[in-house]
Amino acid sequence: MTNFYTLTRTELAEAAKEYKFIWLNLFFVILGVTQPLVHNYMDVILENVGGADGITIDPNRPVPSSGEVLLSTISGQFNQIGLIILIISFMGLIASDRNSGMQDFILTRPVSLQSYLMSKLAGHWLISMFAIAIGAIVSYGYTIFLFGSFSFSDFSLFLLMYSLWILYVISLAILISTFIKGPILIAVATIAASIFFILIKGFNQLAFQLSPGGILNVAENYLLPGREVNHFSILSCGMFIVFNLWLAKINLNKQ
Amino acid sequence: MITVEKLHKTIKKRKILSDVSFTVAQGECVGLLGPNGAGKTTLIKCMTGVLHYEQGNITFHSKPIAEHKQAIGYLSQHTDFKPWMSCAESLRFFGKLSGLDAAVLQEAIPAVLEEVGLKGKESYKVEQLSGGMKQRLGIAQAILHEPQLLILDEPVSALDPIGRNEVKKLIARLKKRTTIIISTHILDDASEFCDRYIVIKDGVIAGTIDSQLQQADRKQILVKTAKTPPASGIWAGDGVAHIERLSPSAFLLTGTEQLDLKKVVNDMDA
Repeated sequence: MTNFYTLTRTELAEAAKEYKFIWLNLFFVILGVTQPLVHNYMDVILENVGGADGITIDPNRPVPSSGEVLLSTISGQFNQIGLIILIISFMGLIASDRNSGMQDFILTRPVSLQSYLMSKLAGHWLISMFAIAIGAIVSYGYTIFLFGSFSFSDFSLFLLMYSLWILYVISLAILISTFIKGPILIAVATIAASIFFILIKGFNQLAFQLSPGGILNVAENYLLPGREVNHFSILSCGMFIVFNLWLAKINLNKQ
Repeated sequence: MITVEKLHKTIKKRKILSDVSFTVAQGECVGLLGPNGAGKTTLIKCMTGVLHYEQGNITFHSKPIAEHKQAIGYLSQHTDFKPWMSCAESLRFFGKLSGLDAAVLQEAIPAVLEEVGLKGKESYKVEQLSGGMKQRLGIAQAILHEPQLLILDEPVSALDPIGRNEVKKLIARLKKRTTIIISTHILDDASEFCDRYIVIKDGVIAGTIDSQLQQADRKQILVKTAKTPPASGIWAGDGVAHIERLSPSAFLLTGTEQLDLKKVVNDMDA
């Protein structure tokens, strides 16, 4: 436990030295602010950038609900461009340790592989969720100001479920890092695998129930009730996280 | 103290180590000698528990080496700490991972920095250190928890002559209080402090050389070959005037003048 704490603290300190707590947070704040503003001021923006020639905006178009705006911000922006940036930010999470020889130094100490892998998972999850939470809270503030109130407890539950998806993506990056040495390739493979797990849940009922991507539906249901939800996804996501770490441990052990 | 028995290691279907066996006794300073790619680093990584091996045993005081990580200090071939950490922070990090508590580290860090010649450099960032200083910091992290066995992988190969000299002097001092296994492909680097050499070529032990005898009288070297009998004509032209066979694999080489250890090692077959 002491080793896990020491290693996690070092991950967080390294993120601070690399200004991740600044630029990553700033990035998610910008993402979080942009979507509600664009939704609300679309006609003004179009007019200011040279008019809306050829584009007709229905003045009687329905105003989106707060839940819809939050959904398009977090599940849309955060889970697409945001996720890509996050994955790029932690693509070297094991590769850099291995390439610098730091992994050898750490593993010759009385440090278990579990502690090492769990510290990577916890450290990067905290860094990611800190940025996502700040971006999401700013977005929540703008959304309720522009589009009306929204239950903060539902919003918090959404973030809690979404954090499980982020935990899964990090565990996937850890697993891929034990197979591939190049950070760029790790990022590309993690992005491709994450997209695959998001898409596969729509293939059929079995894939929907088993895919860790199903956790996104559970999360989104707190923003916009009425979506098909399978609470087994929470368990399946957890099981996939454990499976990824277990496989990563076996792979590191084999080397 | 540490026993390696019939060790086999394959990486990507390539046999890196084959039937490697040797023992290092407490207080010895043993050089793992061999050309680049001979399997020295792989052997060391197996010994430190970083690499898994398919067959064989590595025991420390008759128990699996994995149970004794606390008793081992290790310096890898490429010393690359977190560049943003200071010397003291790096040592605190490794000290904590070695199970030392804050109060012990408070006293141990300045002492060990002084020992490796980095006194007053506590706050220096790793990225500000020269190659020699980084290597000495590497040794500092390896001895911080006062290990019984120190394993150093090519500790001086990448250094300039001044850095090389500093680190060699440090190792010679450490030899007095701990068991050391040092890998190198440069014989001169190890000859100043090694009691014995294990010659490794193409992943197999080619033989051992008792250097105590060689240091006492540079005209004589005790060599134990893995191949029995060794190839005929071995050591011819190495200045060896007489070969006395002490056992099927042990030979006392006597030269007309100082024997060239380098040539003797080179002629040993894998």
